[in-house]
This record gives sequence, structure tokens and C-alpha cells, in this order.
Amino acid sequence: MLLDGSRMSYAALDAAADIASKTGADVLGIFVEELNLLRSAGFGFAREVGSESGVSRPFGTAEIEQRIQRLAEHARRALAVAAARYGGRHALSITRGSVVDEVLALAQPNDLLVLGRVGWSSAPGARLGSTAKGLWRRSPGRMLLWCESQASSRGRVVVFLNDHDDVNRRAIMAAADAVWHTHQPVTLLLGAGVDIPPDRLEPIKQDLGVSDSDFRVRTLPSTDPATVVQVLRQERAAQLVLSRDCTLLREPGAEHLLATLNLPVTITP
Amino acid sequence: MPLPAPLTEDQVYHGCPSEKLDFITTDDLEDLEQPCGQDRVLRALEFGASMQAGGFNLFVLGPSGAGKHEFVERFLSQHAAREPVPPDWCHVYNFRFSDRPTAIRLPAGEGQQFKKDLNDLAEELRTAIPATFESEEYQARIQELQEETAKRQHQGLFDIQEEANRNNIAMITTPAGFTFAPMRKGEVIDPEEYKNFSDEEKQLIESKVEELQKKLQHTIQQIPRLRKDVRERIHALNEEMVQLTLGGPIGELREKWSHLPDVVDYLDAVREDVVEHAEAFQDSENGPPVGLLARYRANLLVDNADTVGAPVIYEDLPNHQHLTGQIEHRARQGNLYTDFTLIRGGSMHRASGGYLIIDARRVLTQPMAWESLKRILLSGEIRIESLERLYGLVSTVSLQPEPIPVSIKVVLLGDRMLYYLLSHFDPDFLDLFKVEADFEDDLDRNDECYELYSRMIATMARAQKMRPLERDAVARLIEHASRLAADQRKLTAHDRVLRDILTEADHWAGQSGADTVEASHIQQAIDEREYRASRVRERSREQISRGVVMIATEGEEVAQVNGLSVLRLGASMFGQPTRITATARPGKGQVVDIEREAKLGGPIHSKAVMILSRFIASRYAGEGELSLSASLAFEQSYGGVEGDSASVAETCVLLSAIARIPLKQSFAVTGSMNQHGEVQAVGGVNEKIEGFFDVCREAGDVREQGVLLPASNVEHLMLRADVRQAIAEQRFRIYPVSDINQAIELLTGLEAGEPDGKGEFPENSFNRRVAERLAQFAEASKKQDDTGDVNNNSGGNGSD
Repeated sequence: MLLDGSRMSYAALDAAADIASKTGADVLGIFVEELNLLRSAGFGFAREVGSESGVSRPFGTAEIEQRIQRLAEHARRALAVAAARYGGRHALSITRGSVVDEVLALAQPNDLLVLGRVGWSSAPGARLGSTAKGLWRRSPGRMLLWCESQASSRGRVVVFLNDHDDVNRRAIMAAADAVWHTHQPVTLLLGAGVDIPPDRLEPIKQDLGVSDSDFRVRTLPSTDPATVVQVLRQERAAQLVLSRDCTLLREPGAEHLLATLNLPVTITP
Repeated sequence: MPLPAPLTEDQVYHGCPSEKLDFITTDDLEDLEQPCGQDRVLRALEFGASMQAGGFNLFVLGPSGAGKHEFVERFLSQHAAREPVPPDWCHVYNFRFSDRPTAIRLPAGEGQQFKKDLNDLAEELRTAIPATFESEEYQARIQELQEETAKRQHQGLFDIQEEANRNNIAMITTPAGFTFAPMRKGEVIDPEEYKNFSDEEKQLIESKVEELQKKLQHTIQQIPRLRKDVRERIHALNEEMVQLTLGGPIGELREKWSHLPDVVDYLDAVREDVVEHAEAFQDSENGPPVGLLARYRANLLVDNADTVGAPVIYEDLPNHQHLTGQIEHRARQGNLYTDFTLIRGGSMHRASGGYLIIDARRVLTQPMAWESLKRILLSGEIRIESLERLYGLVSTVSLQPEPIPVSIKVVLLGDRMLYYLLSHFDPDFLDLFKVEADFEDDLDRNDECYELYSRMIATMARAQKMRPLERDAVARLIEHASRLAADQRKLTAHDRVLRDILTEADHWAGQSGADTVEASHIQQAIDEREYRASRVRERSREQISRGVVMIATEGEEVAQVNGLSVLRLGASMFGQPTRITATARPGKGQVVDIEREAKLGGPIHSKAVMILSRFIASRYAGEGELSLSASLAFEQSYGGVEGDSASVAETCVLLSAIARIPLKQSFAVTGSMNQHGEVQAVGGVNEKIEGFFDVCREAGDVREQGVLLPASNVEHLMLRADVRQAIAEQRFRIYPVSDINQAIELLTGLEAGEPDGKGEFPENSFNRRVAERLAQFAEASKKQDDTGDVNNNSGGNGSD
């Protein structure tokens, strides 16, 4: 669970705690004191331009150290509160360095990496933060890019599949976990030209643990972000599960697609 | 002066001539449309109801139980049926000032349709608008907008970041914004290492950083404008979509209600409001908030859909809220909320365009109700305000509904005293209630009245769903109506008493298994009512019969006479004799009213004693001085004494005390007297005579007893059958007296005596003996005064 003190990271923490309470997993928080940030405050000319006001003000090492410590402390308390709510084990690792590198150093293949899709940069309007951009291709295990969605809690888990069985399998297993937590119905979203025979659908359904009435298959007519968003909206998608090796994320506009999707996205290796 | 002859049986009772009643039972008679004998009140009602000018409201005066309410309501219902039905009124949400709900006037009966149309519209809004927002078209357009905005917003930052990167400067996100720092291979250079840079390099970097900071500042400061622009575009899109959705239903309604500009304006306001709140309709799961949709409904305050003619409303509890309406509140989680749908109309709203009947006493006893009623009548509009707000007890924000203009005729029902008090003390009253409709208490009893009165009884009986009355029963009731009016030439118009007797007689008829109500049932009803109210009377009589209260009904006594008084208890009254005694001795011409001295006498009684005192002085002292010190008392009277009906008796007993001539105790006396000795009428003569008759009967056989009453009271006599029987058998006599001398002669058996030219009374006459005795008093006083003067003079000299 990546904590940076931003509003989105705390929302992601709640989601992580919720998942942990249902799976019995431990929550390991990581707070990275970003080296670039600390260094940038060390220059005599350094100034900080407010993301809301645009006002420029002096920016010093002592001040940023203090702010980072305060954020770290806040993150520690938030983690403790979230963990207390579900009663599981938790720990917070505070490191200094590059955020992406530190997270990758800590994360294991069996871990679920949870992070807000955007951190501090959400204020000026970014929809996919640099950390998310740096991690989604490199995460050793599953990664949940959390966002505060307006999607209905009664929505569906949408799993995107293409014609690569291993990739599909990882996505289906991740979706099965999500369904097990949320008891939401499932839509299999197939890439253009992908066809899954009926005899292979039955095992998928069993893996997902859903009944016929809670299961449907739909083919994506096109992979452009607008179409994907439209189909997801039509499906009342509450979250999307897909592999980073699927065709959707292999295309050049993948980051743009991730930025456009306004719902939690689980990305499997 | 000749003595009056005792009254005959026929003179003390005016029986109902059966030949005047031309029917067998009341079923043969038609209903009476209007009550008989109430022409004055009918003309007043007709005028008041038709008069359009302001302030011509009505006050119907009359005793309670006279049937004012039924009469007025019946009259007004007939009158109002010919008048147009007033309009409907409803309150709707005021989109400009939410605390001032708007009032809309609609033609009668259209209020319900308007309310239904708005309900349908709200229902349509609830489903159609969210559907619009769910539509692919809307979603696609909003997506495009958001994309474009994000792109525009982010592009500026992205461009700066790109420019920074090109110059090996990192744009770092901080928790509160951005900062710039020199970088190498994607990492910020260590500040210690930076110190080793040449000044030229440093200047280059720092000037670039400064430039980037300025650009960033400029870009960030553009973001709010961008966001505002987006919001406006989204709002415009929402408006466009809602306009398209609403176009159909609102357009239809506008056309349907085009004859009412207020409704059309309201519909336009609804459209604007829905557009304004378009975002609130976007929650497809929960739908728009209930409170929002409630704004588009109508609160039908006055619904005249089923009203025929002008409304006639009777408000049985005319308090402030019931008259002017009120704003109710709904409790939610311990808090009180209200809105325009909780405005409740009052009876003034319902009666607008028609008539409102109110009991005056009730409206006056309710806090602020009278003031609120006047305020509405003066202003011509109803303003709904809570009582606590009027009193200034609360200052919380509440609704102030738009006042509704009112055109109403208020009819107050009340007794006369209230009318006169209001006229005197309330300066607004006569401005607002200009029409006085005065109910007759009694009706003239003449040959023409019998048919009308019989029909009135028949109408009453049918209204009560009673058995029909036989002719004899009607005759008996008419006779009793005269008794109730205490006048042989009048009939009571007191509706309630007659109705009660009829109902009770019907009960007794039922008990006896009769199909019709007979005279005996009427009599039984009268007797039973009398009996039920007789406990106090019987206790009083018992005290007399046992000698506890001393009343003599035979023999003669000096300075003692039987006066007659009437006691009223609730609805019943009865008469009883009271012993009046007097004392007389020489003095300074004063008559002491012991009742007044003991503060048991009222002012009228005191006046009567003064009159008789002056009468005695003028008649017997002539030009000389009256030497008399006398006293008068009602023996064994422990309550108050009021009225002048005992002044004849008091005069007689005082003269008896002066002249020491005994008075016959077999007579009781009633009547007032003026300063010339003329006897004047009094009230309650029937009860007084019957009261003395009962005392005489309980004292032994009735024989030779009687009552002296003013001759002018004879036509008020409607005596009981047993008294009449005794009169017929000459065991009980009633003498009508018109002058005090007649009373004296009847009570003493002596000639009273008229004065001659010198002012002297005949020898051995009663008056002569009184005059002689007073002369003795004067002589005695003179001697006493002379002795006193001598003593005084001696004393004076002695002191010298």
C-alpha cells in the first residue's frame, strides 16, 4: 500500500484495508521520502509554486523535511486506524529514494500493490500520476489503481480478455478474488476478433464463482479509449480487471486509456 | 276608589281555541319555509347578504337557544345557492423567494386538475430527466467535454514540464504544488554538487528556473478560469438536454393553462428551476431528491370543485389557526421542518366568496382570534401567521405565504349584551359589522298566528323525526309557549325550549306506546321538566311548611305583609312569599332600608324605598315636616334583594306600622309603585302567584287567600290548572290593583280615603289614621326638639 499523504492515497488505504479484512492479508504501508523532492529544496533559488493558487514562495530543506515527517506520521496514524477497523496486522516502511524504485524493491510477486491512480498531482488536474505510470508496467504482482469512482456499488466487475490463455487466466483469477469480495456480477469483455467457445466459458464461470444470471460476455467493437469508456459505462462497471499484457495496454495510448477510465483498475502481470 | 273585582278563570289564562287549529295531526300541515314572526331579522339578513359594500357584515342578536344558528344557516344556504361558486386557490413554490410561497387563483374546480397536472409533471421529471442524463448522447458529449478540459488544463503543465526537461530541469510535484530543480539523467542534482557549477551555468539554470516558474504561475492561475469555463459548458449542456426533455410536457401544460397567466408564469419558473438544478437529477440510482420534486407540486388550499353556489361555512372552533389557516411542521430527527405543502387553509379561506358563520362568544374567548378576524376584514386579505409569531414569541425563519385576497361575509351569532358591549368598547366593531339582525324573543299571539305557529311546530317535529302531534297537543304547546313568553298575547320564539319539550313529549308518547303525541304527553314533558328542576323549590317550601321560614297565610298582623319574590336557578324559576316587616317611630323623615344597610339590597330596590318614602311624605305630611323614623326588612332573607316589585307591599306594611292597623295575612302582594301611588307592572307574576298558592296549599286548605298584583300584569297571567281551578271555585282570588289605595283597602278592610279640598282625609279612613299618627309623631318630635333647645340654651347659659 503506497502512502504519500494525498487524499487519493488515503482512499486507496481504505480500499486496501477492506480487501485485507476479507482476505486476511496483512497491510504493508510504504512511505517514500522522495529524494528528488528533498534535493530540489536544497537549492538557494528553490521556490514552490502553489498548485491551486499559483503563488510562488520560498522552498527550503528544513521546511520540506518537516512536512515530509508530518505526512509520514499522518500516514502511520491512518494506517493504524484502518488496520484497527479490520483487526489485521499492519506495518509501515519509511524509506528514502525514488518512489518507484523503493516500491519495486519492497513488493513481492504475490503481493497486491494498491495505490491511488494519482497523488499530489491530482490538484492541478492530472488523472494518472507519475508513480502509477512508473509502476503499472513493472509491478511484480497485481496492482490496484484506486480511484474514487462514482460507479455504483451494484455495478459489475468487468474482465478484459484476449486470445492469450495465460494472460486471460491471470485476469480471471484476479477478477475471481474481486467477485469473492464484492459479490458483484461479472462481464467478460472480449477484444475485437476474440472468440471464446461456450465449452470454455463454463470453467471460467466456475473460476469466477458466479451464476448464469450474474455473468455475461460482450465483445469490444474497438479499442479506442472513448469506446472502452462507453462500453464500461453501459455495463455499469464498478471495476475493471485486465492484464498489462492484454492488447488494450499494449497499444501506444494505454496510459491515456488508464487516465480516462474513471474507476478502480486491477492490472495483473 | 272602587275596589277591583277578583279575576275570573278566563282572565288568568289564555287558552288556545281549538277551532283555530284546522288539522287532525301535524302531518296535515305543510312545512314552514321561514320562521314566523322574524320579519325584522329576515329583512336584515336579506339586506346584509346582498349588500356588496365593505363592512356590511352581520351580527345576529338573540338569546341563546333561539335557534339563530339553524335559522341563519338555512337562510344563507338558500341565498348562497343562487350565487357564483368562488375560485380555487393554491400555493406553489416561489422560485425567487423560497420563504414566500406564491398564491395562484384558479377557476372553481380547476385546482384539482392543476394539482394533478403538476404531480404528473413531477413524476415525469423524476424519470425523464435522469433518463436524458443516462442517454448515450449526453454521456458522449460530457465525456468529450471532460476530455477536452483535462487536455487543456493538463496541456499547459505538460508543455512546461517538457520545456523544463529539454533544459535538464526537473519539475517536481510537492505536496502543495511544484518546484523546479536542475537534473541529470532523470535525477535531481545534489545541491552540494551544484555548488561546484560555474557562475555562468548557475545563472543560466536559475534564470531558466525563474522563467519556468513564471510560466507555471501563469498556467496555474489560468486553471480556475478553465474550470469555470468547463462548468459553464457542462451547465449549458445540461440546460440544453433538460430543455429538450421538458419541452414536450411543459409546452403541453403551457398551452392547456394558457388562459391563466399566473399558471403559465409558474410553469416557466418550473422549467428554469429544473434547468438550474439539472445536476440534481443525475443520480440515476436514487433519482432526484424528494425535496426538489416537491417544489414542483401544488398545495391546493381552497378546493371548490364540489361547492354549489357560494360556500356557507360554520366554524365551530373559531380560534386563530382555524380561521386564518396555519403552517404545519414535520418532525425529522428531532428537528421541525416546513415547506409550502404544509400550509393549511382556514375557514376564512374556505368561506371566501361566501359566508362564514361564527359564534361571537367563542371567537372572543380564543386568543387573538377576534383581532385576526378584524384584521382580515379590514385588509381584505388572509395572511397566514402563527400565533406565536403574532405574539413575537419566536423569531425563527418560517414561511410567509403570499396573502390571499378574500371577499367574505362574516355572520356573528351572539346575545344582545355582547353586541352592545362590542359596540361600546371596540371602535372597529361598528365599522365591520354594520348590519344588526335582531331576533325576536316573542311572537304576537293573534288569530293569524295559530296556523303559522302550528306549522312551525309541525316543521320542528318533522325535522326531529318525531311522531306527529295531535291538535290538542299543539294547542297545549301554544298555551305553554304563551306561558314561556309570560304573556297572554305573546308566544315564545325560543326555539330550543320548544324543541326540547317536543322531543321529550315524543319520548313519553313512545313510552306509552302512542302513535301520536297527545296533549297529555306535552303536559307530562312540562311536568317532568318542572319536577326535575324542583329540588330547591321543594326544600324552600318545606322550610315554610315546617315553620322554619315564617309565612302567615291567614289572620291579621300589624306591620307585616307577604311580599312575593322570584328565584331563577339555571333554566327554571319559581316564586315564593317573603315576610316583609316595618317599624315606625318619630324621627327626621327617614326610612331605613335594612336590606341596603346590610348591603343585601340592590340599587333598584333602594330606589323603590326612596320612592315610597317620598310618597308617604308627600301624601301625609303635606306642607309640614315628616317626622318619621321607619325601617323595612325582608325577614329571613339571607341573599340579595333586588327590584322594585315589592314596593306596594313595603308601602302597605310601612303604613300599617305607622297607623298600627293590621294587614290580612291571607294575601300576598306584588307590584311596584310610583311617587303618586300608582301601581306598576312587575315581572314573574305567574311564578309568584303559583308560589304563594303552593305555600297556602301546604299550610292547609286553600280558602280565602289571594294575591294582589298590578292591573297591568293581568295580561301576563298564564297560570297553572290547579290555580285556575281554585280561582274558579273562589278559594283563591287574584285582585288587579292600579292604585295603592286599592291595595290598602283589600289588605285592611278599611276605606283608604281620598283627601278633601283642604287635603284632609275622611274621618276613620285608613289614610286619616296614618296622617293623624304622623301628626302625633311630629308633635312628639317638636316637643323633643323644644326640650332639647331649652336644655341646650340652659347648657349654654350655664356655661356662661
